[in-house]
Amino acid sequence: MNAIHTRAISHYRPGPARWEAATAVAHGGGLHFGVIVLALLVLGGLGYSVARTRRGHARQHDDEWGRQEATPPGSSGPAGPAGSPRSAEPLQRGGPPAAAGSPATPGAAPNGDTSPVPPRPARAVSFDRPTGGWAVETHGLTKRFGSNVAVNDVDLLVPRGCAFGYLGPNGAGKTTLIRTLLGLTRADGGTMSLLGIPVPAERNRALARVGAIVDEPLFHPHLTGRDNLRLLAAARGGDAGQRIGPSLARVGLAERAGDKVARYSLGMRQRLGVASCLLGDPELLILDEPMNGLDPAGMHQMRTMITDLVDEGRTVVLSSHLLDEVERTCDAVAIVDRGRVIRQGPIDELIRGAGTLTVQIDCADPARAARLIDEAGIAAGTSLAEAGITVTLPAGSSRELVADINRRLVGAGISVYGLQEIRASLEDWFLSVTTRLGENP
Amino acid sequence: MTSPAPAAEPLLSGGPSSAQPVRTPVLRRLGVSMPTWDLITTKHLELRKRRGLMITVLVMTIVPTVLILGLRLAFHLFDPAHYGPAGAPDVFAAIANLTAEFGFIIAAVVGAAAGTTDLNDGVFRYLVVTGRSRLALYLARIPAGLAILIPAVAIAFGMLCLVTSYESAPQPTAVSMNNNIPVPPYLDQAQLQTWTNQHPRQAAQAFPPGQIVDGAGPIAPGTKPGIALDYANYLGSEDQQFEPAVNEMAKIGLWLSLEVGIGFLVGLGLGSLTGQRTLSTILLIGLEIIVTPILARTPIPYFLDGQRLDVGVAMDQLRPAGLAPTGGGPLFGGRGSLGIPPMPTWAMISVIVGWIVVWSVLGAWRMMTRDA
Repeated sequence: MNAIHTRAISHYRPGPARWEAATAVAHGGGLHFGVIVLALLVLGGLGYSVARTRRGHARQHDDEWGRQEATPPGSSGPAGPAGSPRSAEPLQRGGPPAAAGSPATPGAAPNGDTSPVPPRPARAVSFDRPTGGWAVETHGLTKRFGSNVAVNDVDLLVPRGCAFGYLGPNGAGKTTLIRTLLGLTRADGGTMSLLGIPVPAERNRALARVGAIVDEPLFHPHLTGRDNLRLLAAARGGDAGQRIGPSLARVGLAERAGDKVARYSLGMRQRLGVASCLLGDPELLILDEPMNGLDPAGMHQMRTMITDLVDEGRTVVLSSHLLDEVERTCDAVAIVDRGRVIRQGPIDELIRGAGTLTVQIDCADPARAARLIDEAGIAAGTSLAEAGITVTLPAGSSRELVADINRRLVGAGISVYGLQEIRASLEDWFLSVTTRLGENP
Repeated sequence: MTSPAPAAEPLLSGGPSSAQPVRTPVLRRLGVSMPTWDLITTKHLELRKRRGLMITVLVMTIVPTVLILGLRLAFHLFDPAHYGPAGAPDVFAAIANLTAEFGFIIAAVVGAAAGTTDLNDGVFRYLVVTGRSRLALYLARIPAGLAILIPAVAIAFGMLCLVTSYESAPQPTAVSMNNNIPVPPYLDQAQLQTWTNQHPRQAAQAFPPGQIVDGAGPIAPGTKPGIALDYANYLGSEDQQFEPAVNEMAKIGLWLSLEVGIGFLVGLGLGSLTGQRTLSTILLIGLEIIVTPILARTPIPYFLDGQRLDVGVAMDQLRPAGLAPTGGGPLFGGRGSLGIPPMPTWAMISVIVGWIVVWSVLGAWRMMTRDA
C-alpha cells in the first residue's frame, strides 16, 4: 500500500544495454500506444466475431432438412415429430402415439400439399368455464406502444385440451399479445391468467407449466442444439435436463443434436424450438407462427406434432396469419384485427353461425325452381347456375332447410338430380368478417 | 378426438396433471433469485464455447507471460552476460503490471459479452419464458465469467511466480537508494531512522531533499522530508530490487484478481444496461487506457474529488509497492503513475465497492425490467 514513490528510485541493473532498454520501454509511456493498438485488435476481433455469428445465422442449409425428410420412416432420428413412439414415450402423456412414419392427420398428404382443407376429425371444444381455469384467460388486456395500441382491450378465453388458433393479419398484435401473456413485456391494463394462475402476480409459477416459441426460435448459434437445450433446461430446473434426449428424438433432431445451431435450417430451428418447449413437460404450449419458413413437408410435420400434443391432453395456442393452416390444425380460433379480438369460438360454430349456407341444386327446370324458392321466402338469394341453381340460405340455417327445399321442389313436380352443400372455409368466413369490418369501421 | 374439453377431466394417464404435486419441486425452485449450479455451469459452457472470446482471453493473459518469460529464459540461457535471469524483480513487476492492464481489458470484454450475448442471440426471451427469475439469470453470469477469467490470470501469475522463485537473480545485500548509496535491507521505520542518524552523510545522499515525490509534488529545496516519506521511498526501492516475498506475491495476486473482477463486473453491468457489447467494450477500454491515466496523473483544480471517483485511480493507489512504476513514470498502458494526492483508505475502498455495486445493480435492474 505504498502509495508514494519517488521518481529517483534506483534500478536493479543485472546487465547493460538491451534488456535494460527493453524494460525501460516497457515501463515507460511508449507502450501506451501499444495498448491502444491492442485494444483496436480486440475490437477488431469483436467485429469479426459478430460478423461470423451473423454469417452463421444467414447460412441455412435447407438440404439438411431435406435429408432428414428422406430418411425412411421408423428410423429413430429423422422420422418426423411422431416418428418414433418408443423414443417419444417419456414425453407423452398417455395419448395414442402416432404410427411410425405415417401421417397422423387423416387426409394430409405425406409431402405436404396445397389442396383444399382436408377433413379433420372434429375435437369438441367447450367454452363452459373449466374447473381448473382456462388455459388462457384475459380481460381488458391492453398494451400500448406510444400512441399505437397493439393489444386493445382483449377478452380472450382459451379452453384446455384443444388447439386454439389466434388468427389475424400481419401487424394485428398477435405477437404482442403473446409477449404480454408471457411477461416478456408489461401490460398497460387488464388482467390475465395462464392455466388458472394469475400473471404477472405468479408469473414464474405459471410459466413453469408453459412452453413457448415467440416470434422466431432463436438459439446461440455457436452452441449445438443439445447444448442450447441444456442451457434452457438448466433455467427450467427440475427434471427438464432428463427430457433433453426425448425432446430431441420427438422432433426428429436426435441425430443432428451435436451440430451447431448455426448450421441448422429454419425448419430445424423451429423443431428445436418445439423441443425446447417440451423440456418443461408443459400443459400449455404457445407457438407464434410455427409454420414460418417451413416447406410443405415441414408444415405437415408441424401440424402432426401439434395434433399429437393436443391428443396428449396439452393445450396448444397457435398464432398465425395462415388461415388454411389454422383451419387444418385448430379446433377453435380467435380472430384479431388491429389489436382487438373480433370473434372467438369453435371453428365449425363460427363458420356455421356467422356465414351463410350455400346449396348447389341440380334440377330439371332451374328457372322455375328458383322462382319457387324465392316465392317461398326461405332463401336469402338464388341464382341460376350452369347445371341448376345456387341457393344461399340465411346465416344460422339448419340443414333441415335443405331437405325442406327438396320437398318443395319435388312437390312442385321439378325433378331434383342432386343437392350439394357448399361448405364455407375459414378463409371465406374470415374474409367476410373482415370485409364487414371494412364497411363498418 | 371427439372427447369433451379435457380441462374438466383428468389429464391422460401418462403424465402429471396440473393438480398433481409432482411439479412442486420445480415450482419451488423457480422464482428463487439465486442461480442454481446447473445454471452457472451451462452459462459457463455458453461463454467457454465462444472460440474467439477464449482465444482473446488466452492471448491477453497467458500468452504474453509465456512469451516474455520464454524469451527471457532463452536469452539468459544463451547470453547470460547481457540478459539477466528471467526471475528478476523488474521482470516480475513488468509482467505483473502487463497482466493487470490486459486483465482489466479482457475482463471488460468477457463481462460485456456475458451481459449481452443472450440478448444479441435472441435467447434472452426464451430464458425468461422458462419462469426462472431474471435476477438469477443475471447472477449466474458472475461466477460463470469469473470462472473463466480468474483461472487464466492465476495461471499466468502462477507461472510468473514460479519463474521468479526458481530463476531469480542473486539477491543484493543492500537496498540501492539515490546515488547508489547502499542501505541495509529489511529495516522498519525506526531502524531506518536509527541508520540515518548514524550515517548522516550517506543518508543525505540516499534521501536528498527536494526530490520529486509522486502525489506530493516537488518538495521545497532545503527542506528535508520526514522519515515517513523516506521510509516509503526505501520500501519502494526494496520492492523493486528484491525478489518479492511469498506474502507480497499473494498480495499482488489478490490485487490482480480484484482488478480483473472489477473489469468483469463493470463490463457485465454496463453490457446488461446498454445491451450493446461493442459499445460497452469500447467505453471500458477507453476508461482504462485514456480516462484513468489522465485522471490519475494530472490534478484538475476543483475536481480532485471527482478524479478520485475513478475506480482506476483507486486501484492505482491500492497497487502493491512491488508493482510500482520505476522512475515514477506511467506503466505499460498509461496507468500506475499516481500524480494526485492519495485518498484516504476508506474513500479508496468506497470507490471500489461503489463501482462494483452500482454497475451490478444497474445491470441487474435493466435485465429485470427489460422487454424481452
